[in-house]
Amino acid sequence: MGAPSTAKPKQRDYFEMFDMPRKLWIETSAFEKKFLELSWKLHPDKFVNASAEKQELSLKLSSELNDAYRVLRDPVARIEYLLGIEGMRKEGEQRQQAPPELLEEVFELNESLDELRDTKVSGGDLISLKARLETAEKNFQEKLSKVDTQLQETAHLWDAAIDASANDTDRKGIMARLNELLNRRSYIRNLVTNVQKELL
Amino acid sequence: MAYSDKVVDHYNNPRNVGSLSKEDPNVGTGLVGAPECGDVMKLQMKINPDTKIIEEAKFKTFGCGSAIASSSLATEWVKGRTVEEALSIKNTDIVRELSLPPVKIHCSVLAEDAIKAAIGDWKKKHGVEVPVAEKASH
Repeated sequence: MGAPSTAKPKQRDYFEMFDMPRKLWIETSAFEKKFLELSWKLHPDKFVNASAEKQELSLKLSSELNDAYRVLRDPVARIEYLLGIEGMRKEGEQRQQAPPELLEEVFELNESLDELRDTKVSGGDLISLKARLETAEKNFQEKLSKVDTQLQETAHLWDAAIDASANDTDRKGIMARLNELLNRRSYIRNLVTNVQKELL
Repeated sequence: MAYSDKVVDHYNNPRNVGSLSKEDPNVGTGLVGAPECGDVMKLQMKINPDTKIIEEAKFKTFGCGSAIASSSLATEWVKGRTVEEALSIKNTDIVRELSLPPVKIHCSVLAEDAIKAAIGDWKKKHGVEVPVAEKASH
């Protein structure tokens, strides 16, 4: 099959590009293999003697394939992408309302980080400060892995729902949960980065 | 990316940083966040129950320079205004005043949300019917 053959390709989503169902668990070795296969099929080098149109298409599809690969390879980006194409996560457009308890918690954690910073500036006890920062980092890291575990568990639920052809309501429920967890993750990710900055 | 002079000014000399008592019946507290960037913003205002004038406003924001500047500006703008006037502040006004670039518009949205949330909280304390929060325009 001469690869970029469809003259007017409709926008395919990343899962379709890899001939995969919209599921969140990906078998890595098969995925990598598929990527290499497709890369080779679409590679611009194979079209040096083809028409300008085909050359351009090959370039376009190769770059799309690379984007798809980068997103799907990363478990968190994969979930974000899925929610995006399912219309559950519209960046900017539809604001992501975080639950108040989460905001309270994040705010408090940030405040404690602020206190630690003040100690640093005012030249307080640096040794104990470092210890406290390290404890804070450990605490945030633990929260991060907890969220990641929860994301993974919910991703399994999603896959099971797809397998069982679950109804719209059930699917939406799982996606809402995934969305919530992604939001939580991004707040915690920020805290981890901030505390690490202080420890440098 | 360079910040505008106004953003830098608010960032270096933020106005009205601090907090008011959450328990005070005349204080409304708005706590909002932007998961895209992990920013959190707390805005509080003390409202005179008779005149409905915002007598005091404080904020604390954990986020980028634009988020801090947006909330700092928001406290300046709401002070001395009535609740209704404060509710009419649009995120686009903040964008214009601070010359925020498109990637930072969500910071101004956050500030508008914070104003609405704080007033909503105050209204709730006073048993005023809270209209369904309007979505800020982008």
